[in-house]
Amino acid sequence: MKKITLILFLIAFQQIIYSQVISDKISVDFKNANIKTAIQDIEKVSYYKFYFDEKWFDNDSTSITKQYKEVKIGEVLEDVFQNTSFNFYISENKVIVTNNSVIYSQLADDYFGIPLERDENGQITPIFYQQYDSIKKTNSRNPNKNIRDLVLIGKEVKNQKKKSTYTLSGFIKGGKNNSGLANIVVKIPNSEFSAVTDKKGFYSLQVPGGLNVVETESFSYNKVTKNIMVYNDGSLNLSLTDNINQLDEVLIKTNKSKSAKSAITGVTTIDSEGIKNVPLVLGERDILKVALTMPGIKTAGEGSAGFNVRGGKEDQNLFLLDHATLYNPSHFFGFFTALNPYTTKKVDIYKGSIPAEFGGRLSSVFDISSKSGNVNEFQGEGGIGPVTSNLMVSTPIVKGKSSLVAGGRATYSDYILKSLDDENLKNSQASFYDLILKYNHKINASNDIESTLYYSHDKFSVSSDSLYKYSNRLATLKWNHTFNEKNKGSLIVTNSEYKFNIDYESEGVNNFDFGYKINETQAMIKMNYLYNEKHKFSYGISTKLYSVDPGYLNPKNPETTLVPVDVETEKGLESAAYIGDNFKISDKFLLDFGLRYSTFAALGKSTQRIYEENQPISDATVIDTKTYGNNEVIKRYGGLEPRVAARYFITDDFSVRASYDKTYQYIHLLSNNTTQSPTDIWKLSDLNVKPESAQQVSLGLYKNLKGGDIEFSVEGYYKRSKNILDYKVGAELLLNENIETELLQGEGKAYGVEFLVKKQVGKLNGWLGYTYSRSLIKLDSQFNEEKVNNGKYFPSNFDKPHDFSAVLNYKITKRYSFSSNFTYQTGRPITYPIGRYDYGNAQYTVYSDRNKFRIPDYLRLDIGLNIEGNHKIKKLAHSFWNISVYNVLGRNNPYSVFFVTDKGQIKAYKTSIFSIPIPSITYNFKF
Amino acid sequence: MTKYLYKISLLLILTFATSSCTEQYVFQNTDFESALVVEGTITNELKNQVIRVSQVYQLEETGPRLEKGANVFISDDKGNEYQFEEKDTIYSSITPFKAEPGRKYQLKIRTSAGKNYTSDEQVLTTETKIDNVTATVENVNGQRGVQINVNSFDPANTSKYYRYEYAETYKIIAPRWYFQETNTVTIPAQPGNPIEGTPPSPQQEVILVTPRTKETRVCFSTKKSDAIILNNTSGLSEDRVHFPVRFISDQNYIISHRYSILVKQYVQNLAAYTFYKTLRDLSTSGGVLSPKQPGFFYGNIKSVENPEEKVIGFFEVSSVSTERIYFNYADLFPKEALPPYYESDCEPEEFKDCIGDLPCKGSILRSFIRTKARVLFSWNYDDLYFMVKTPCGDCTSFSSNIVPPFWVD
Repeated sequence: MKKITLILFLIAFQQIIYSQVISDKISVDFKNANIKTAIQDIEKVSYYKFYFDEKWFDNDSTSITKQYKEVKIGEVLEDVFQNTSFNFYISENKVIVTNNSVIYSQLADDYFGIPLERDENGQITPIFYQQYDSIKKTNSRNPNKNIRDLVLIGKEVKNQKKKSTYTLSGFIKGGKNNSGLANIVVKIPNSEFSAVTDKKGFYSLQVPGGLNVVETESFSYNKVTKNIMVYNDGSLNLSLTDNINQLDEVLIKTNKSKSAKSAITGVTTIDSEGIKNVPLVLGERDILKVALTMPGIKTAGEGSAGFNVRGGKEDQNLFLLDHATLYNPSHFFGFFTALNPYTTKKVDIYKGSIPAEFGGRLSSVFDISSKSGNVNEFQGEGGIGPVTSNLMVSTPIVKGKSSLVAGGRATYSDYILKSLDDENLKNSQASFYDLILKYNHKINASNDIESTLYYSHDKFSVSSDSLYKYSNRLATLKWNHTFNEKNKGSLIVTNSEYKFNIDYESEGVNNFDFGYKINETQAMIKMNYLYNEKHKFSYGISTKLYSVDPGYLNPKNPETTLVPVDVETEKGLESAAYIGDNFKISDKFLLDFGLRYSTFAALGKSTQRIYEENQPISDATVIDTKTYGNNEVIKRYGGLEPRVAARYFITDDFSVRASYDKTYQYIHLLSNNTTQSPTDIWKLSDLNVKPESAQQVSLGLYKNLKGGDIEFSVEGYYKRSKNILDYKVGAELLLNENIETELLQGEGKAYGVEFLVKKQVGKLNGWLGYTYSRSLIKLDSQFNEEKVNNGKYFPSNFDKPHDFSAVLNYKITKRYSFSSNFTYQTGRPITYPIGRYDYGNAQYTVYSDRNKFRIPDYLRLDIGLNIEGNHKIKKLAHSFWNISVYNVLGRNNPYSVFFVTDKGQIKAYKTSIFSIPIPSITYNFKF
Repeated sequence: MTKYLYKISLLLILTFATSSCTEQYVFQNTDFESALVVEGTITNELKNQVIRVSQVYQLEETGPRLEKGANVFISDDKGNEYQFEEKDTIYSSITPFKAEPGRKYQLKIRTSAGKNYTSDEQVLTTETKIDNVTATVENVNGQRGVQINVNSFDPANTSKYYRYEYAETYKIIAPRWYFQETNTVTIPAQPGNPIEGTPPSPQQEVILVTPRTKETRVCFSTKKSDAIILNNTSGLSEDRVHFPVRFISDQNYIISHRYSILVKQYVQNLAAYTFYKTLRDLSTSGGVLSPKQPGFFYGNIKSVENPEEKVIGFFEVSSVSTERIYFNYADLFPKEALPPYYESDCEPEEFKDCIGDLPCKGSILRSFIRTKARVLFSWNYDDLYFMVKTPCGDCTSFSSNIVPPFWVD
């Protein structure tokens, strides 16, 4: 490039010297001509000779159809090069085509000291060729190899009105897959000009005209610095390489750029690549387990499947895998996450303000994105652990355009079980696997599609007579289209299914097959509109059709006394429209305003009971039963969900953010186990079950020290929720055709303060988090049976006021690093039997107030050692070993406390799952 | 769930060669709160009405703590007060009375510790009589047996919520009864008499066969229902009850001869019905998958001094209707073999009364007689005894030989 431009310059000067006047009018006829053929056509009909580099036109999409009769060549060429970055210079019979640059035929006005021309902003108009000269000099003297070529941006237009800034945009790619990189900061050092790449790696940066230095900033990738010459709006695509030096570090980013720039509170990004050193049970790299070490995200117990975010119930979290709902993101009761660690790119967790594009759950969104494949070369990654093995391969399909990622994981626990001597365990089963396929295809510069297929399956038996199975299945199709520089949009279609099945087979005749299924199909359009520098709008619509099969029970033996049950199918349609504006009021003050309107219609075919008004809902108060036809609307619910967040920089490294959010939820998980279990059932809102809603306000303070190496944050929140589902004393949920008679809808209240300190660089890095939080619920009514704990607020099942976690890594050498993970939590609440009494002719147990007691506190320390293979970049496979010990202290952390009546006495038992230190070793490799 | 968690952890132990443990957890009832338990159903029968007052007892205790020395009375809106007195384990009204329709009744208790409790005001429920009780042979869930149904009808459609109690009484006839019985008698050691020339004899245990002196062939047992039996007609267009209150399998010995059941139908209000329903639901075990939600629940009795004090129980004023029926096995199951007896193995066993090796079984026979583990079925008037298990020949071993006063043969 450098050479070509140099030659052009030389030619240009020659032309000035030898210029002569010849006929400059031509007649030519273009038929769907591109630049190259147009040039050839002109060359055929005239004496003109063109000078250019053919490579420039490789991606040329020009199509000209026009006839010219005795038109000046200049006018013809104006047409040909319209809308391109090319300029031309005509000298005698030679046409010199230049990319970006204009060839000046005169010296600049001030070349001999004449006062500088100023544009309307009072700025000095750049004198490009002069600067260009100086750059070359600087460059030759500068040993910094990062500064390589000068990149010319935009098409220089002679005598154009100079703007103060131009738009520089493009994609930043990198990593092993050379896919778009999100959250990369692109900036002009020592200035206010900076931008962050979006999910696809696209950025749009305002730059001043003229010579600039642009650099990227990221923790995972090497810094790239480019010298650019800005003539006009233009594009610059960059490719980044992995930051090898930081391989050992845990990079949990409340992404520096994101945390500094965005207005929303309570957002955490966890990068799959960054978490590989955190010691975890059985050596599984697990992105959601790492999430649990962040303030505000908890689980009811070790091995519990559900998450509790800021005092919300397990069902209030929306897990999205490439935009599709993932109903159960865990394997084997939550011991493992059902996501392949190697195909997962990252998860964005919104626990505070939830952007308006998301909806349908009250507490949080876990937006999980999987990796896009490398379109250029075959790659793979895998891990071999004591319980499971993972493999991911990525292969181009059409080189440079499309790729396919395939990931798989399976456990060999079944094999281990079969090899055991114990007869009972030999017949036990515990197996799971998950598979993922992701395809992405770039059709052209403004269109690409991607599609994900995912399936996870679990099978286990906890006793020899019953076999449990559950599975998730999802499929997505997404089409991204760029309308123009300002408007982009995506059309997304998804389908998700979750089902479980219990196969009970004992020696008696009462064998049965029980099943449950939920299916949802969703279509949505998401649009982005960069109105101007101050306003960025996003808007869209979505609609989702649910179909729930709440359960069937089929006896398997004809002699059985069991009665077959088939609970009526539920159907519902949830739709929403949203608009959001990212309004930059000033450099310091950013307002993110969103408004979402969601609506839900419970649809027939269905039979709904009508209960007496002002009476408790129970079998005893039914006054009528109404039948609805197929797709007939049973009941419509809906509401406005404002989402407002604001950020203000008090100083450069100290910001304050506040937000207000409202959310609605139309689908509820019924689970009266303390912990979520795979056999919990989802129920849609209907005539008698109202949607849940929540409002949250939060306030956060963020301070960076040492130029951002250490980040402090404090976030406080207060959340009120309505119609939170709970259960009457004695409720039974499964296969209940009139479930509303067992349900209570109460008010929730949660508040807390979350402290987080993060150090991302240096030999010692990691984070410390502490949360004080409460989660309370109130079930009040005028009727005793609908009142719990006297209608007062009481702690929810997952109310754990104190929660401290620390993840620390110490890099001993470049190859060895030591990591540790410490967790302390208050024990969760529990309802105890406290006594007995005689009533009628029988004995009954008295229980304490709901959740009056607590199980013992939870405390755990894990340690790990990571050993990297050598650091040669070019070798067949890159590998590392992870040796870790889970629960080093060997503490008996209670998983559950339960009661057994033994010889007329009630005894309490405590079960721990990992009561001794569990060592594990995992081998990871990349090729 | 708990059971299954335990299993999961068990599984994990071996599956992953890791360790889990279940240990008894020191769970002291330091927070044991006593609570008053009141069970009071006043009916429209003229009788000495009964209120039971006790305290919650600790899990380790075996029996109820009765609330002694309390002042219990019921007042109505006409200013009447019905005083109760303590009798053994219950409080019984000093004078007989019956609940009158339309009056509001309130239960008041002042404990010996000086705490006061009152119930909500209760009104007598609709007086709906049992039309009849029927016993029919039916197949229920694949099991043949006798279904006892209650039928009643409230044309006013106001009763709606029903609770049932029953007491069943049945005749038992011991199938291997014998008119004589065996006992062992110990003959003390005799010193020898040199004058008479008899040698000294050691202590002896001899078997004595005597005629039975009391009734042991025919007995009567009475059992009260202990489960909470509820029914409601709110989902029906008419307040018509046809409710199976009791089902007895055709293999149950209790219907072998003559069976009688007394069914009590209480008409309840919604609150009382709900209380009993919760009590019932919570005490029956839930499925493995989905355990019952445990918790404390209130009835309609509150402490006057501290409205948040836990009080268990319900005071209801309920109309009651009772009906007794009888049936014979032969009427319902003509020409069919009797169901297996209470004791299914009634085969006589032979014992030869001598000391030494088999076939001598003297010592075991004596031991059986002494401990009343076997009774006589027949003998050869010498040393050969045929014995059966005690219930086969003596029904008083598990029942009573007193004929109930109401019994009609």
